[in-house]
Amino acid sequence: MSRRPHALLSLAVVAVALTGCSASTAPASSPATSSTPSVPVTIDNCGFELTVERPAERILTIKSSTTEMLLALGLGDRIIGTAFPDGPVPDQWAVEAADIPVISDFAPAQEAVLDLEPDFIYAGWESNLKSDTAGERDALASLGIGSYVSPSACKEPGYKPEKLTFDLVFDEIREAGTVFGAEDAAEELVAEQQGALEALSPSTDGLTALWYSSGTDTPYVGAGIGAPQMMLDAAGLTNVAADVNDTWASLGWESIIDANPDVIVLVDASWNTAASKIEMLTANPVTAQLDAVAERRFITVPFAAGEAGVRNVEAVASILDQLAALDAR
Amino acid sequence: MPANQMTDTTQHRPATGRRRASPWGWGVLLSALLVASIVAAICFGAADIRPADVFASVAAHLGLGDSPLSVLRDGIVWELRLPRVLTAAAVGAGLALSGAVMQALTRNPLADPYLLGLSSGASLGAVSVLLLGLGVLLPIAAFVGALAALLATLLLAGASGVLTPTRTVLAGVAVSALAAALTSFVIFWSAQGDSFREILNWLLGSLSGSDWTTVAIAGTAVLVIGVPVLFSGRLLDAFAFGDTTAAALGVNVAATRWTLLAVTALLTGAMVSVSGSIGFIGLVLPHAVRLLTGARHRLLLPLVALTGAIVLIWADTVARTLFDPRELPVGIVTAIVGAPVFAALLARRSTR
Repeated sequence: MSRRPHALLSLAVVAVALTGCSASTAPASSPATSSTPSVPVTIDNCGFELTVERPAERILTIKSSTTEMLLALGLGDRIIGTAFPDGPVPDQWAVEAADIPVISDFAPAQEAVLDLEPDFIYAGWESNLKSDTAGERDALASLGIGSYVSPSACKEPGYKPEKLTFDLVFDEIREAGTVFGAEDAAEELVAEQQGALEALSPSTDGLTALWYSSGTDTPYVGAGIGAPQMMLDAAGLTNVAADVNDTWASLGWESIIDANPDVIVLVDASWNTAASKIEMLTANPVTAQLDAVAERRFITVPFAAGEAGVRNVEAVASILDQLAALDAR
Repeated sequence: MPANQMTDTTQHRPATGRRRASPWGWGVLLSALLVASIVAAICFGAADIRPADVFASVAAHLGLGDSPLSVLRDGIVWELRLPRVLTAAAVGAGLALSGAVMQALTRNPLADPYLLGLSSGASLGAVSVLLLGLGVLLPIAAFVGALAALLATLLLAGASGVLTPTRTVLAGVAVSALAAALTSFVIFWSAQGDSFREILNWLLGSLSGSDWTTVAIAGTAVLVIGVPVLFSGRLLDAFAFGDTTAAALGVNVAATRWTLLAVTALLTGAMVSVSGSIGFIGLVLPHAVRLLTGARHRLLLPLVALTGAIVLIWADTVARTLFDPRELPVGIVTAIVGAPVFAALLARRSTR
């Protein structure tokens, strides 16, 4: 397990003592005297100043999006454990991911995390790094454990994306490449995904869509500024909840029925399957009248693909394939 | 809460604040207001439908003419708005009535319909279905949970001697705490993804799941259980002067209290099963209506039921339209409105 040099640690302690500020114990960025140009590097991550001395070796991932990011960057062998998985990883990584121990089905507690002796934690949500979960980022840093949160999940004003775009997702991939010392792999991945995205031909039929995650009484749907909106835009579909300025929102059935979407994108999760939602939509006398339900124009997307990350481009491609299949019926 | 507070009564005061209006006048006025509220509330919603079309659609379903609306918009009126408004009316009436009866039976001004562990029991039943996927319909699970909690409360209170108000309330507190802890445990253990939202909605109380089935459940409960309870006013008036006086007036105290507690709990259980636990209606409205009627339960009970129906219709209309197209759980609205009203009632009482 790697530790920060003592000199830097004591520097940090002195800095804290001098300023009386405990907000950040990460050492200040030191001049790039290292032979590798990329490290050390300092990144402002959701308002937390993260300094990477050397690429992490023993990484704990929390949430599927982070595990998949590292797998896509070819860093699967550095993952020593994962927690809070949202579902199975895509087939191409299934063999590699099978060896990664899942330490908790939810956000893990500090002791379980420390027991693994990671040198770095890569979290999908900010809430994964709190005292009642894996630990506060400052506290982890004082133990020599670095931490990084997917920037699209930052909640602080100024850090929270105003509207998620594929450019932001690609920036996120590049930044992950910097943090984990895989810049070339990140550039390659971005180029590949950019190419794949440009090769897609969005639907031009002017169709409207609902991105339906969960909730039977008050449906919880993808709104105007998050990953669902980004993917619907890329697929050429108009989100019926686009006007709601949030990533997700609880909508009333009345507005959905009034909008009468042409297709319904169903999020498929183990705890709330697409099949269960189809059953509910078909059984309810009002929703059964929706065009998309009556004509069974459903599109399924895995839950983990609904968060910003390396699976978004593939999800758009899948949406377009399913749309074509619906039209071909 | 200390025991001496529990024996405080709101009923033994002479009804000094009562207005000189005739009780029949108030009854007619509130009934008219209820009908007007139902008619008005079905015209509000996220979808932009003209009131004339709304009424024509309702008329068409009642066999008068044809609906001018498309099948979907017709569904909005007939399958979403109308059942929801009617469910709100029935639940509001049931909760307000239960609250008034509970306050009288326990001689506790802080009593509400959920006092005896009912809402916690119902929540446990509902959360078990929502999260553990038990193969039971949600309203049934909630109802069974409410009844189990009530039974536990009454057995616990009865086990230690005569069923006194204080003992019943304390037993209810114990049962509530246990059921709430178990509910939290189930949520903590098994909530995944965003499934906790559905639970939160339910715990805060929401009418968004209303359909004709919920109208049937809540409506039947109000008609079959609520209406007979309206006639218990004379008994409750006797209770207000204490158990000894009630007995002297010829009331079989223990039997009456058991029966009324059980019947009111059944009524509340039916309400909770369709709407979750909507707060403040059953706590605040009896106090507010008492300002009009004084402590006479023969007047209080019917008027508080009508008021409850009207208030919940409007609270729910706010919940579903204020942030359109988003929806709030109605329990948030009743709490935001109810807390200041309760405070105002408190201030008014202390200055007298």
